[in-house]
Amino acid sequence: MSNLMIRSALHSRKLWSPVIAAALLLSPCAGYAQSATNADRWLHVRVVSTDSKGETVCVNVPLELAEKILPAINKKELHGGKITIDKLDTEGVDLRALLEAVRSAKDGEFVTVKGSDGEDVRVAKQGGFLLVHVTDGAGHIPHRHHAENDSADKKQDDRAAKQTVATSVSHVEVKIPLAVVDAMLSGGKDELDLVAGLRVLSAQGDTELVSVKDGEDTVRVWIDSKNTNDSEGGAR
Amino acid sequence: MILLAKVGLGVLGTIVATGAYTFREGLLRVDVDEYRQGGSHVHLWLPAAAIPMAMNFVPRREFEKASRDAREYMPIARAAAHELGKLPDSVLVEVKDGDEHVVVATKDGAIKIDVSDPEEQVHVLCPLETIEDVTQEIAETRTGSVLH
Repeated sequence: MSNLMIRSALHSRKLWSPVIAAALLLSPCAGYAQSATNADRWLHVRVVSTDSKGETVCVNVPLELAEKILPAINKKELHGGKITIDKLDTEGVDLRALLEAVRSAKDGEFVTVKGSDGEDVRVAKQGGFLLVHVTDGAGHIPHRHHAENDSADKKQDDRAAKQTVATSVSHVEVKIPLAVVDAMLSGGKDELDLVAGLRVLSAQGDTELVSVKDGEDTVRVWIDSKNTNDSEGGAR
Repeated sequence: MILLAKVGLGVLGTIVATGAYTFREGLLRVDVDEYRQGGSHVHLWLPAAAIPMAMNFVPRREFEKASRDAREYMPIARAAAHELGKLPDSVLVEVKDGDEHVVVATKDGAIKIDVSDPEEQVHVLCPLETIEDVTQEIAETRTGSVLH
């Protein structure tokens, strides 16, 4: 019985061997195709609102698509994938000079603002990234005043107050790779090369570029190799 | 009897070949259902390959008007269709807002737009190759190289 089974197995192996050989031959190609797909970089935007309607907006854009489409747009300041900045209304700020200054500066914290009511603004350059951190909101925890407070009541008050603060405080984190800034400045004197910036951005690793938490709303912008907008995407 | 079989085979072969040619670019599909009194229900299924052919019957005047109106968007639409065609099946935009749900995605070389809300449902499926062909044809009309 067992001989019969072995023979049958050998026979079926003979039958399957060309298929297995073909599969083995093709497997590097399959691996290559997979990695080629994985090499595509995607820019993701996710906006989640936790209000009663629970609005969610997810946008997934392949960077290569943006690279190809941008040069096709010729409208106002945008031409051939470049923005002409002399026409931009920057309220007297020389945007290019500002970016140049940041690019050539050493690592460190450029701006630190700590307001009395919980405001915290920090702009820094670190590890090849321009980092912007903003916390804004009520810095003090409002207490209800009672003539006589028992401890349980007070704890409940504190919890409610902390929840109010948690929803009213907004956090903004921006992380811009300076290589992208470099690439954007590589164009002419009065222009920012968006396509070059995108090209460099697509060479970056998985990165979270923008994170905003404002009360009930959360906004995230990140790049990775996935074509899906799952909430865990992008390195933090 | 054999002659009849041969004729039948020929007819069948012609139908299959014509069908394969007609549907080689897929289907353009538009479904609109309005769930209100007197609401319209439109279900349009067309072989995508027929659209560039049908464009030859559009009056030249209309073509030129379309070309003038959409001149600046044609290269963008064409580039977008071309690049989107290279993508794997992906969701590009998804919006959920209460009972409303909008999805723009690519699926099997086509762009798919689904809008669902309690009052209406709209589903559009258009092969990207068709969009590319149509935008190219409209863009070329402007230069006068088509329909002359």
